[in-house]
Amino acid sequence: MSFSAKQWLTKIHDLPLPPKVRIMNVCGGHERSITMAGLRAALPSNIELIPGPGCPVCVCPEEDVYAAIQLALEEKVTLVAFGDMLRVPVNVSKQAVRSLEQAKAVGADIRPIASPLEALEIAQRADKSQIVFFVTGFETTTAPVAALLAQGIPDNLLILLSGRLTWPIVDQLLATGQAQFDALIAPGHVATIMGSQEWAFVVEKYHMPTAVAGFTSESLLAAMYSVLRQLIEKKCFLDNCYPQVVNEQGNLTAQRFLQQTMQTVDANWRGIGIVKQSGFQLQNSQQDAKLQLTDYSKVARQRMGTMPAGCDCAKVVLGNIYPNQCCLYGKSCTPRSPIGPCMVSDEGACRIWWSGGVHNDE
Amino acid sequence: MQVVEIQGFNARCEAKGVERTVSLFMLQEENIVVGDYVMIHVGYAIQKMTHQEAQSTWELFDEVLAAESPHA
Repeated sequence: MSFSAKQWLTKIHDLPLPPKVRIMNVCGGHERSITMAGLRAALPSNIELIPGPGCPVCVCPEEDVYAAIQLALEEKVTLVAFGDMLRVPVNVSKQAVRSLEQAKAVGADIRPIASPLEALEIAQRADKSQIVFFVTGFETTTAPVAALLAQGIPDNLLILLSGRLTWPIVDQLLATGQAQFDALIAPGHVATIMGSQEWAFVVEKYHMPTAVAGFTSESLLAAMYSVLRQLIEKKCFLDNCYPQVVNEQGNLTAQRFLQQTMQTVDANWRGIGIVKQSGFQLQNSQQDAKLQLTDYSKVARQRMGTMPAGCDCAKVVLGNIYPNQCCLYGKSCTPRSPIGPCMVSDEGACRIWWSGGVHNDE
Repeated sequence: MQVVEIQGFNARCEAKGVERTVSLFMLQEENIVVGDYVMIHVGYAIQKMTHQEAQSTWELFDEVLAAESPHA
């Protein structure tokens, strides 16, 4: 049998809950569903839902965004990127071009896309002129890019890759105690590709209740119920509350494409630093924009790589503070004029909370 | 989305009256046929959807317990 959201809520309210339980999610899609459905207000007040590192745009190194802007401006390439990268500002003077959107406004050829297949189409139509596909994303988005590479891309298409893996940052959070939480909701689409088993380490190494969730209120509440009952009964296991698409192994074809075309390397997370084995790097240097064109990410400039002054995005991403605890939130930083990446991306916790109507320190 | 038509690695899929072409390249080792439901991400089908009733292992656990209970 399958319960409705209301029934799951009743079951959660009926549990003998401890005075305080903190459940972290690590997926912008989860945070969006939780916020838009108003689940925080519907749950018992002793349950805290913490949005964690679930936004690839938010952790994309500032240097990489700068590199993409410069490639479009200086090398005159056609730069294609997922739409929500276009408004991420970099640390340059107010008079200089600060985002891909501004570069487009001054004449650079920048095109927002929604699928890697569009990048391929643009490259095929462009004949010989140079196309650079700026890729940000976690495993779910990086795997289709790997599929595209495995299928074969034309010589005029280069990849500027800022793909990241999610589990290493969670491992780091748990190993270092950088974030305090009692249970984990594991990301449903990442697990669809990589398999639920990738999250077994949270249970085995850290003895923490864990459940993979989908994106409906029912699936999210089932996962919350599961981790709460695991805590109460002191029986930790990895639950799969998204069995419609998630299995233990994941999509093995997608994983093979990732292995064939990319390797995992230590990688920089904006405002957080190097996270071991958390980045994707292309196997074929011929396809790598950083190796084939000028690597502007390495060009020294003031404040390169840092967060904008006063911006607490990194703390929000790590689950150390809630979005509305940043002093810029809703004041100088809004979706209309974002300062930090968490207010730009649809997967950023600040943007999601603002869209969900959280307009002050409630 | 539901698969409406398949041509090579591409499929025409439909959900709530909206149709789009998606790549089946990542599901090439699965047997996908017209009528199947697939999960789409950035233009690629990433997994075939299956019908599952229980949403948590606890549901199955409680069902077994209830079945074993003499008062059930």
